[in-house]
Amino acid sequence: MAEVNRIPMNTTVLVIGGGWNGIKVASELSHAGFSVLLVEGGESIGAQGPSQQLIAASEGELSDLLEAARQDGGIEVLTSSRVVSVNGAPGDFHIRLVQGDNFLERNVGAVVVALEAQKVSMDQSYGLDGHENVLSQSELERVLVSAEEKARLTGDGSREVLFLVGLKQEGHPVVMERAIRSAVEIQDSAGLQTTILVGNVKLAAEGLETLYKESRAKGVLYFKVREAPLVKQNGASFSATLYDNVLHDHVELTPDVVIVEEAILPHPETEALGRVLRIDRDPPGFFQPDNVHFYPVRSNREGIYVIGSARQPASLRQGWTDAQNAVLEISRLLGTGERLVPKEKAKIHRGKCTICLTCYRVCPHGAISWDNRAIISPVACQGCGICASECPMDAIQLVDYEDDRIKDQIVLAGETRPDSPQIVAFCCQNSAYEAGEMARTFGSVLPEGLRMIRVPCAGKVDVDYILTAFQAGADGVLVFACHKDNCKSERGNTFAEWRVEDAGRMLEEIGLERERLQFSTIASNMPVEFLRITRALEEKLKQLGPNRIKKQAAA
Amino acid sequence: MNAGSKDKLQAQASRRILVLGGGIAGLTAAWELAQLNFDIELAEQSSFLGGHAIQFCCKAAEACQKCGACSVEKRLLEVIQEPRIKVRLRSQLSGVDHNGAFSYVLSRRPLYIDPKRCTDCGICFEKCPAPGAILRGFSKNDVPLYAVEERCCLYFKDGSCRLCEAICPEKAIDLDRGAEALEGVADAIIVATGFHAFDPVARPRYGYGINKNVITALDLERMLREKAEVLRPSDNRAPEKIAFIQCVGSRDHQLGHGFCSQVCCAYAIRMAEAISHRFPGMEATVFYMDIQNCGKDFARFYERAKDHIRFVRHMPGDIFQGDEDRLIVCYGDEKTGRASRESFDLVVLSVGIMPGLSNPALAETLNLAVDPHGFLASTDPLDSTTTGRKGIFLAGTVQGPKDIADSIAQAGQAAQRAARYLRVIHGRSE
Repeated sequence: MAEVNRIPMNTTVLVIGGGWNGIKVASELSHAGFSVLLVEGGESIGAQGPSQQLIAASEGELSDLLEAARQDGGIEVLTSSRVVSVNGAPGDFHIRLVQGDNFLERNVGAVVVALEAQKVSMDQSYGLDGHENVLSQSELERVLVSAEEKARLTGDGSREVLFLVGLKQEGHPVVMERAIRSAVEIQDSAGLQTTILVGNVKLAAEGLETLYKESRAKGVLYFKVREAPLVKQNGASFSATLYDNVLHDHVELTPDVVIVEEAILPHPETEALGRVLRIDRDPPGFFQPDNVHFYPVRSNREGIYVIGSARQPASLRQGWTDAQNAVLEISRLLGTGERLVPKEKAKIHRGKCTICLTCYRVCPHGAISWDNRAIISPVACQGCGICASECPMDAIQLVDYEDDRIKDQIVLAGETRPDSPQIVAFCCQNSAYEAGEMARTFGSVLPEGLRMIRVPCAGKVDVDYILTAFQAGADGVLVFACHKDNCKSERGNTFAEWRVEDAGRMLEEIGLERERLQFSTIASNMPVEFLRITRALEEKLKQLGPNRIKKQAAA
Repeated sequence: MNAGSKDKLQAQASRRILVLGGGIAGLTAAWELAQLNFDIELAEQSSFLGGHAIQFCCKAAEACQKCGACSVEKRLLEVIQEPRIKVRLRSQLSGVDHNGAFSYVLSRRPLYIDPKRCTDCGICFEKCPAPGAILRGFSKNDVPLYAVEERCCLYFKDGSCRLCEAICPEKAIDLDRGAEALEGVADAIIVATGFHAFDPVARPRYGYGINKNVITALDLERMLREKAEVLRPSDNRAPEKIAFIQCVGSRDHQLGHGFCSQVCCAYAIRMAEAISHRFPGMEATVFYMDIQNCGKDFARFYERAKDHIRFVRHMPGDIFQGDEDRLIVCYGDEKTGRASRESFDLVVLSVGIMPGLSNPALAETLNLAVDPHGFLASTDPLDSTTTGRKGIFLAGTVQGPKDIADSIAQAGQAAQRAARYLRVIHGRSE
């Protein structure tokens, strides 16, 4: 067992974003005994967040929560403030903030990002910008909470209101729910005719199918169309012509008011904050890689969590589910202010390290910092070994997977002399190793000459390992990685694939067949594929005959 | 109060929690609470942990499609390695009494195979003469990996066979073992007993159970997981044309199922993508009402899927047998409205998530409310884990349809709520 250190963990938590998710997580953290620093860019907390509609619906609970958070001695609120730098490691982050002209410095143990998404009207996409009587969903909701403005909107009750939803963007249940609720409210209270033009009715959230059915019973009309109609201003009203797939005919609508949907986009600060925190975003630009290993609230860095619409469009309820998960993660990480961690998970050889910072750049977990030398935080380090394999000086060793020990295993594998081709398979512990063990447990007959070598991540597989295996007499080498977008260390599989390409070129140069080396992706629950892939390689190697190096050595 | 003194209070507090249900939600809640040093008793009514989700296949195509099936595998491994979690297989809650804490009784069906002795050798599984009498878990991480199913076992039928007992090299099997009542006390209960998959026999027009080549999506999941191939049941040949039919059982107001099952579009598209990637000759068509979102990047995911999958917006009327075991699917053409007939080699019914069969009994035992659809009702619109009873929390599909990612998130929330609840009751009682 590796040496263990008891290290202090700061039990203050930085929450970035004073919307309803930020307030909720702050309040729950405080209840759990943590001190909270709640930082909001705007002038007050609770100003932005879910739709006006939702706030109205759950007003009691939200205003109570806000009041309690304001009274809570465990929560320090900093408004008009921005985080400008974060250094250090989980349990001991050093934060610098700007509030007006002032610089502030704080130390915290963990960070929760609770920035709320922004809602942007799609009036331009629909060619309706600048028109009077065209409202965005948010504008409509603001009108509906004011009796006076609502009366102005509904007029004498003879007006028609048209909603455009999911026609210029892929829809979303959060967007759909708001449109349906508003349509019902207008239809109910003022007797106006409301019509919803929609692509796919997005109902994959609790209670939405019921709401959808009720809205139709109340007279809200729906047309499911493939394309957005051209909506033209026609005097005081509009005209919209569409092809209806149920009637199989063109239908003309003449609404007086048009409500356009909104796009839910990442908070405008997301990109900049991502750089400060060194956390990754998904393709739509929200925080958190699109990778199941990070669900629900983890970022690629230990100690930094992302909740609610900071990570994807989300309802208030989903945001609060995330908030509770963040509290859970933080309770586990910071505990009561102390944590037992291995003295080191990765060792840096001081004499070899030239501070080239390759490790700092490649570490997917932001676990490496430097101070005249590279420092690997044992709390943040996930032990993937990508740094160790990328280090040009071979200055880094993983404590649990030292190169010499892995090479011993490779050489040992070469010493067996089975009748069938000898295969060395490097197996990521998260996928292939489990799949291989499962195949064995289920009684599958794996190739006789197969030797599995467990690695913490495919990103640990060095070109050196591959060449050593061939040198030691392997007829074939398999490098197994997790599927693209499923690597627990995000890019370990990519590094492994590159290295296999490099090693393949080297094999060709020394006159070994390129096909002896194979890169495959697999998941832990694929024992049958494991069997199929290893068998297929065995067949191929039988055709190729023994590794020439081995033959020479034998001669 | 600072974290240190709070923790001292916690350490004195009672730390026992009962988790009902060993699917992904129950596993997650149990594991998360164990990490906070609570002691967990985890009761699972079937012979294996992992619930429905452990049966699901990896759906990776060129890249991972984020179905989350592999996270179930990982969580199962973590749970069986966690000493704070006591797993009770084949066990159901039979009674509970609330006097400050919950005193409960679990009734456990006999565990014929002793998990401590079984070495997973599989000889019983291989040699058993009665099909289905020895079951194997879906994951190597199931402990024990094998179980005796009384309904198929010859010993329980007529006493004619005790072969497994005799041949087990570890003497791990005892067919005379009896049922047990296990008593326990807990301060909080997490209910995570899961769902029941819609039985398409209740929608006879699709011919499930009559036409062999009409299967459910669960059948397809298991086929991909266990065999890594797609075969049509009638002749074990690879199909060329596969139809997926969405909303089978869900969004069906005639059957009183006025809810979206939330997972079916996701699994159908993911499986169709995986199939078209792995078996390039196969073509998939998805018949649907409305395509529902899944994952973090659905817009791009769906756009890419349209390159490989044909999407037809119409719910088919009837399906009947054509030549050579093919199936004729009748549907209306979206553009013209005219009736179309098209033949497929295999039809996959995307069956929905229905309320668990044990929900009514569970609701009665625990005195919980049931929602109009039959799921256990949450009583807080902003927190779906909340029940009307203090100390009892809901997690996963027992409360309503959700996918693996959402079940994990809700289970985390339930665990956090339970931890918070214990903090509160302790604070009050001291």
